[in-house]
Amino acid sequence: MSITYVLQRIAQLILIVFIAITINFILPRMIPGDPVESALTTKIAISGNVSVDVQKVAAAYREKFGLDKPLWQQYLNYLNDVFHFEFGVSLVKFPETVMSQIQSALPWTIGLMLVSTITAFFVGSILGALFVWPSTPKLFHVLVSPFMLLSTIPFFLLGIILLSIFATELRIFPPGGGFSPTLIRGLNMETALDILHHSILPALSIILGGMGAWALGMRAMMITVLGEDYVAFAEAKGLHPRRVFLWYGMRNALLPQVTQLALSLGSVLGGTVLVEAIFSYPGIGTLLFAAIATKDYFVIQGIVLILIFALAGALFIIDMVYPLLDPRIRYSS
Amino acid sequence: MNRLLRLLNSQRITTNLIIGLAILTIVVLVSLLGPLFVDMDLAKVGEVPPSKPPSAEYLLGTDSQGRDMLAVLISAIPQTLKMGLIAGIVGVSIGLLLGLLSGFFGGPLDTVIRVFADSLMTVPGIAILLVIASNIESMTVEVMGLTVAALAWMYPTRTIRSQVLSIRERPYMAVARANGESELEVLFREVMPNLVPYVAASLVASINGAILATVGLESLGLGAQNVHTLGTTIYWARRYSAVLRGQWWWWAPPIIVVSLIFIGLFLVSMGLDRFANPALSGQGSALARRRKRDARKDAALSDAAGVTGAVAGSQAEPALLRVENLRVVFETNAGSGLAVDNVSFTMQPGERMGLVGESGCGKTTMATAIMSLVRPPGRIAGGRVMLGETDLLTLSDEKLRKMRLKEIALVPQAAMNSLNPVMRIGEQLADAIRVHEDTLSQKELDTLIAESLVNVGLLAEVANRYPHQLSGGMKQRVTIAIATVLGPQLIIADEPTSALDVVVQQRVMLTLGRVQKELGAAMVLIGHDMGLIAQFSDTIGVLYAGKMVERGDIDTVLNEPCHPYTRLLIDSLPKLESESEFIGIPGLPPALFNRPDGCSFHPRCPFAFARCQTEIPEPQLFRGRQVACHLYPEQGQLPPIPVSSVVVAGDGALPTGIVEAKS
Repeated sequence: MSITYVLQRIAQLILIVFIAITINFILPRMIPGDPVESALTTKIAISGNVSVDVQKVAAAYREKFGLDKPLWQQYLNYLNDVFHFEFGVSLVKFPETVMSQIQSALPWTIGLMLVSTITAFFVGSILGALFVWPSTPKLFHVLVSPFMLLSTIPFFLLGIILLSIFATELRIFPPGGGFSPTLIRGLNMETALDILHHSILPALSIILGGMGAWALGMRAMMITVLGEDYVAFAEAKGLHPRRVFLWYGMRNALLPQVTQLALSLGSVLGGTVLVEAIFSYPGIGTLLFAAIATKDYFVIQGIVLILIFALAGALFIIDMVYPLLDPRIRYSS
Repeated sequence: MNRLLRLLNSQRITTNLIIGLAILTIVVLVSLLGPLFVDMDLAKVGEVPPSKPPSAEYLLGTDSQGRDMLAVLISAIPQTLKMGLIAGIVGVSIGLLLGLLSGFFGGPLDTVIRVFADSLMTVPGIAILLVIASNIESMTVEVMGLTVAALAWMYPTRTIRSQVLSIRERPYMAVARANGESELEVLFREVMPNLVPYVAASLVASINGAILATVGLESLGLGAQNVHTLGTTIYWARRYSAVLRGQWWWWAPPIIVVSLIFIGLFLVSMGLDRFANPALSGQGSALARRRKRDARKDAALSDAAGVTGAVAGSQAEPALLRVENLRVVFETNAGSGLAVDNVSFTMQPGERMGLVGESGCGKTTMATAIMSLVRPPGRIAGGRVMLGETDLLTLSDEKLRKMRLKEIALVPQAAMNSLNPVMRIGEQLADAIRVHEDTLSQKELDTLIAESLVNVGLLAEVANRYPHQLSGGMKQRVTIAIATVLGPQLIIADEPTSALDVVVQQRVMLTLGRVQKELGAAMVLIGHDMGLIAQFSDTIGVLYAGKMVERGDIDTVLNEPCHPYTRLLIDSLPKLESESEFIGIPGLPPALFNRPDGCSFHPRCPFAFARCQTEIPEPQLFRGRQVACHLYPEQGQLPPIPVSSVVVAGDGALPTGIVEAKS
């Protein structure tokens, strides 16, 4: 991999992140209403204290957070903060910083979402490829087709259905949360099993809801690849069908899927945010949802930034890894 | 109207598309006609019993506020659909405009649009949508639709841009420009019509995405809360713990309707895929497998019936390959036809047999049939392929597989594309060797690979290269190395040089010939270049419309052809020594599904008479070769071809015997 290519790609990454960060700065400011005031009003309404002069406190807050400065100065401060991973403090849970909230939520999201998204990707791709492989037994088509149709139902609605079946009716799985409230968490088997038990329904809704799209993409790609001359020649070589399927068929059909994965990471992320909210899973999605409900301005901005970084980072990694998967990609500009 | 009919007949309208459209139509009809049958007044709180399960009076039960769920549902559907349509149409319109600007005109505009779209794609749209939706006080479905479009236009832009780029590369674009069409004419006449399936697919995807995102948000209680949509219905059900209380009639119907909309859109997009990617039709099932089994059955049947063909040549010398009454059928919705029609011939060990004929005469199909590699919609419908004492058509898959490469090897037609692009050359040789010889050590394997590459005139280092790093000639040499590495008895070379330039062609053919001779293998050399065939073959077989019309020694046949088709094929060769006219055979070979009665060649034959139109000529031995023509034995030899029955290149028509549309 040539150094110029990597440098170019890094420059592109920085540019894209910079633009995205700027959009993240502009967008909330285009929204009508004053976030600080509305956050304070909510807080006061909850505490029941009516003697507070909202205007005055809001002004003090604004000064403290630099929201009274001209826009360009706010922007520079904002860039400076982002650069230092300083996302400010939560307006609602006041002394707590945004960063600490994100830090406690992030492992849950990464653990659940990453594992189930990758599972959905691979299971879906394999099923899709098997769908067009000539020697796949007929039974497979009969068994898998309903799952493909199930996948058109969006994850979060699938989540509600799973919830009502397995948590309400059958009571096999808990109705939400990341762990039992009575659990004393520690590095032991009990904790691990409890967390696993809570993660199965949300994971299942992401896997079932996500794998269909991958299966479809793979199916289409595999049809094209199986028509390629190199597959015909591989058969003429007398290779074992399994080898033709995996190394000549799937290996090539997977390449556009990886590009697709990179492109759709954003929507995958968005969808999983909704799943977390449905299951009140203690990750980033639930945090974001709660922050929006309470108009906790800085938390929202912090989470969106983290999501931007995660997405841009993932895209960058896929771009770096892709040439290893496809030797035809050249590293020149 | 005509176009519509043609479209309906073209098999591109699939059941998927029809079922998908039907589902969506039903959903729309329910929402439009529902108010005629159901009391839509939702404000009758107190009159209706709350939280009742479905009954005859309230078909879908009531919610905890005492509202008829059926009425709620019917009033919710149009709102959700409206939002999806607004988001989809606006988003795709932006996408179409920017995608066309970006892809068609390129330059700095392209860069700006691309970088901006890419950056916006890095922003998690749903999170931004959450923020916006929660901050706009009076959210309506219209505003929601526009917001979604503003956050999602990048996806259609990207799709359309890449399609425009690929359309721009197609040859007919250059033709249009050369014909003097202006850029705008090219845009509207050539680019836009080809974009239609992609725009339609983008629209479906955008509507899908918009409904997905907004139903998601609304079911969390964000977005247009004052409006009844499917999403808000789900939200209220969740809000009042309908899920945990088991009040399924509250939450399930909106989810079912949303799911139906998604299933409908999904089926429609699958249907549209057929328009964008025709490869998707006709394939992708267990058909191949089933057809292969049918072939076995058919082959067994024809054996049982004792069908034996007239096999030319003496039986004194044991033949290496004996093909008897081989039949390959192609079955499609458009019809069925015999691509290989009762072909019989034998080959001796070490023999080089040239197989010629115009495109579409069944040369390649026959080659694949000998290896039992015919792909659907084709299948072997009968006959025998005897390699020594084994009938290849009755072997099990496993045994057949072991015969390939080791006994019969293929040098493929399209060397450019016959090597796996993501595997090194060495690995592709290694897996071929290892599957047949599993006792070799790694060192022996490496030596064998290096030797086989050197043997075809390549450097041993080529083993470490990827196919895209090699030239066309080198790739063809690699396929020859693979085909010959295990020393097969029979090599089938399917137009091994058709993709190469003339100089390289000659060298590759010399290499192939040398290696074949060293191995003592027999070779079937398929081609339409009579010159090359004449140079490299001992015997020749001429195929026309799936039939072997003439078969014999190369000198005998070329010097004194008996079949009129052979004569015309030879005459259509340009001659270096004389400045004779460039002539060809009038007309085209018959279509597979529409073969003429009698001799297939009679419509183009200068000597055709009444019998040729009704009776299929059987192969007969005549003047030292096998020929299938009614002229013999009555005629002593082929009469001279009358000048009036051939096409002279000068008069504007293409000599079809030479100029072929090769795919």
